[in-house]
Amino acid sequence: MISYLIQRLLLMMPTFFGITLIAFLIIHLAPGDPAELRAGGGLAAGGEGGLSTQRRGAIDRALQEWRVQFGLDKPLHVQYLVWLKNLFTLNFGVSFKDNQPVWGKILERLPVTIKLEVWSTLLVYLVAIPLGIYSATHQYSFGDQLTTFGAFVLFALPSFWVGTMAIVFFGGGDFFYWVPPGGLYSVGYSPNWPWWQKLGDRAWHLLMPVLMLSYGGFAGLSRFMRSSMLENLRQDFVQVARSKGLAERLVIYKHVLRNSLIPIVTIMASIIPGLISGSVIIETLFSLPGLGQLSYDAVLARDYPIIMAVFTISSVLTLVSILLSDLLLSVVDPRIAFSRRTA
Amino acid sequence: MMTTPPAQFSCVSQPRRVGKQLPWLPRKNRECRGGLHVAAACLTWKRALHFCLGLVLASLLVPGVVLAQKGQPTEARPVTGDWLISHMLSDPEQLNPLTSNDAGASSILSYIFESLLKRDPRTLELKPHLALARPEIAADKLEYTFKLRQDAHFQDGRPVTGEDVLFSIKALKCPLVNAPFARVYYESIVDAQLLDPSTIRFKAREPYFLNENVLGGIDVLPRHYYDPENFLKDVTVAELASDYSKREEQVRKFAQNFNENYARNPMGSGPYKFKSWSTGQEVVLERDPKYWGTGKEGIDQVYVDARKLRIINNIDAALVNLKAGNLDMMTLQPLQHLRQTSGGRFEKDFAKYEYPTPSYTYIGWNNAQPIFRDIRVRQAMTYFTNRQQMVKTVLFDLGQVVDGPVYRFRPEYDEALYSHPYDPQKALELLGEAGWKDTDGDGILDKEIDGQRVPFRFEIKFNSGNDIRKSVALALQDELRKHGIDASVRALDWTIFLDDVRNHKFDAVIVGWAMSVNEPDDYQVWHSSQAANKGSNMISYKNPRVDTILEEYRRTFDANKRIELYREFQHILNVEQPYTFLFMQKAVTAVSRRFQGVEVLPIGGLRPLDWWVPKLLQKYSSQLSAQ
Repeated sequence: MISYLIQRLLLMMPTFFGITLIAFLIIHLAPGDPAELRAGGGLAAGGEGGLSTQRRGAIDRALQEWRVQFGLDKPLHVQYLVWLKNLFTLNFGVSFKDNQPVWGKILERLPVTIKLEVWSTLLVYLVAIPLGIYSATHQYSFGDQLTTFGAFVLFALPSFWVGTMAIVFFGGGDFFYWVPPGGLYSVGYSPNWPWWQKLGDRAWHLLMPVLMLSYGGFAGLSRFMRSSMLENLRQDFVQVARSKGLAERLVIYKHVLRNSLIPIVTIMASIIPGLISGSVIIETLFSLPGLGQLSYDAVLARDYPIIMAVFTISSVLTLVSILLSDLLLSVVDPRIAFSRRTA
Repeated sequence: MMTTPPAQFSCVSQPRRVGKQLPWLPRKNRECRGGLHVAAACLTWKRALHFCLGLVLASLLVPGVVLAQKGQPTEARPVTGDWLISHMLSDPEQLNPLTSNDAGASSILSYIFESLLKRDPRTLELKPHLALARPEIAADKLEYTFKLRQDAHFQDGRPVTGEDVLFSIKALKCPLVNAPFARVYYESIVDAQLLDPSTIRFKAREPYFLNENVLGGIDVLPRHYYDPENFLKDVTVAELASDYSKREEQVRKFAQNFNENYARNPMGSGPYKFKSWSTGQEVVLERDPKYWGTGKEGIDQVYVDARKLRIINNIDAALVNLKAGNLDMMTLQPLQHLRQTSGGRFEKDFAKYEYPTPSYTYIGWNNAQPIFRDIRVRQAMTYFTNRQQMVKTVLFDLGQVVDGPVYRFRPEYDEALYSHPYDPQKALELLGEAGWKDTDGDGILDKEIDGQRVPFRFEIKFNSGNDIRKSVALALQDELRKHGIDASVRALDWTIFLDDVRNHKFDAVIVGWAMSVNEPDDYQVWHSSQAANKGSNMISYKNPRVDTILEEYRRTFDANKRIELYREFQHILNVEQPYTFLFMQKAVTAVSRRFQGVEVLPIGGLRPLDWWVPKLLQKYSSQLSAQ
């Protein structure tokens, strides 16, 4: 087990460096100069009717000055090596935008994204697993077909559209005012409120975004659950259990369900990278200051340090989650033993 | 008529319904408020007339306001209280007045910081603010001496002194402060000295009438707050402007502290104090109850207790927020204005204001290109361009045709400019005069230029993603095709477009310029020297008389003489048509009707500076909760 772990971790290294190198190259080679963007585009935003030749010269000097400050004047491979060197001390540098450390900016937005992801994942599992069980035990019944159809309809609806509709119809505009049209708390929010009022306000604001984030996931997971259940239902041990005279309820929930949950547990690990990448669409729709928004804005502004940091962290988390699901598999399924496989 | 929004006229028809709370009020109050609204509506009407005539407004308007207020015993005087919650599309980058570089931040900072002089939003004239008067200008026009007023103090109670002004220019000139782009605009300031604790003298490199404007506009930062260790004490402005190597250690220490520690905690002398900023959610400013300017003549008064700027980057959600009452003020998209914000319910709660934004879009003809060298060809191009139609279909009527580069509310603006109508017949005559004929029968006009037969074929470039410019290009292409001119249209990615434009690699471009609400100086754009070295004269316009005018204009300190020169300059452009000037766009902002004193200002739109809410209509408690 230990040697397997070490082997896997060592294998992750080249993958990781490959990912960062490709990401670095793509980001830096994409058109758009962060210095020019900082200077306001230079042409339309030249201020009072353009730039004189002298001032243009001064701006060009300022641009150069700025590039030197952030090390953007060096050749690309040197920039990458500098970036790698800083990475070993977990230093992602400072944002081009406001000179603030990238770590601080990420940590500031992490809670929002984590809250969204955790609640929506929980909701997906809470809805999809019972749905999958029902579909499997009532295979080909009307109920099965209805839930499957419903889940797929939801899956097919793009969240940016449903989200916009939800805001327009239920956000208090011309129609109903059931949920707030975005934000994290109300305009009149005060920290002096009693805790239940604060909690209620926050929950009310998270309700719609969490719903929007999760509805698309019902289809995938419930189908997964359904096929896993069906596969186990056909196993011999189920027949044995039934012939022993066990109640159907016990057969399903004790024997079949337990075995069917194994693949579900392993795919749970794949949630982890989602915790940091966040959802650009939902966060933008509902004006939630999460990580998705941060990275999206960073891409538009060519804020390299932030883009690279988010990218690095989420690729590390992806690699870790893959490893974790393999390990989890051995935990929930004793039949799998790594030491033998790797030997 | 452009500046008067239709929504305001509707004030007259339904003046009594001001806010939701109204039905609870005693009848007497309701009527009073209605009366006030009628008066306000009439005033705006009067103001619109003024705009059209191009007169100076304030002289007539201010007494008008006073009259209207005297006529109303209740709520006639502005009262303090309530919050104004306005919409912002994204977070400001940071709130350090020197190192921030975006429009969102500068609008917030303008409530927190003050400068020596201020531009009157109504008359567009410079007037003293932290200074006692406009500066004394030495005979050689190089030295500017400001005397400070004694009664101004910062938000922490410490007085505003000459030392703070001196520190502010030092910080700005300090090469290590992360403000390279702001510094560019102060290159011409070479030295500054304190004559006594409240008198400061600046020295400029060359005589230039806009120096006063530049110096007067410097935000005054409290030295004791932004440089508590006083690192810059012995460093002079002259050293910072040229060579500071002798004091590099101090300068470095100062700059490091200044760059790193003041991104989110601004403090100045202005009427609003910075309260909080939750990233991605809101920025909160609070009225400073001890503001030094309260009740002082010549200082704009503020009444709203708190300004909250809610950050909502989804424009549709922002509109829903507005309708749900979570926002009091928001700039609308053209389609939101046309389709989503009409009807009684919206108009009961909100008034919409239309105003021109000080910038214009134009088609620039490369004057060095053999085809467009000919004045008659450029004139013909303007006659071919149906600008009125474009305003109607491309801008949804939210715009106005312009005929020159000067903002229409500036005294320099020339009313007598000829506005070229859409007249293809006239255009064809001009082209015929210029020798363009279809000699080879291929359906495209041609002409012999420099010994070669050249077909009338060219390319219009613009930046991709800009739908307005695209529609203009396509409309013109369509029109020209009918008359035997083959124009192709090309959208380019912004950076590539910029590069092409700066290096004169184009036949025609569609771009825009900002218009100055200050005294304009278009030297950069039109002087022949600016055609080289990536200057802003991208179209290589060359006219010796324009060169002379622009040079003389910069050295002229007599405002009337300047206006005269600038009108001649506009007239030359009007005849030569180096650009086909297209239009200014208009913006539409919706504001909750509970705010009084809302008006469209020549300086560019609405400024929620002296707005107020009658006590009975106030929606939020006057106390900001401690956050």
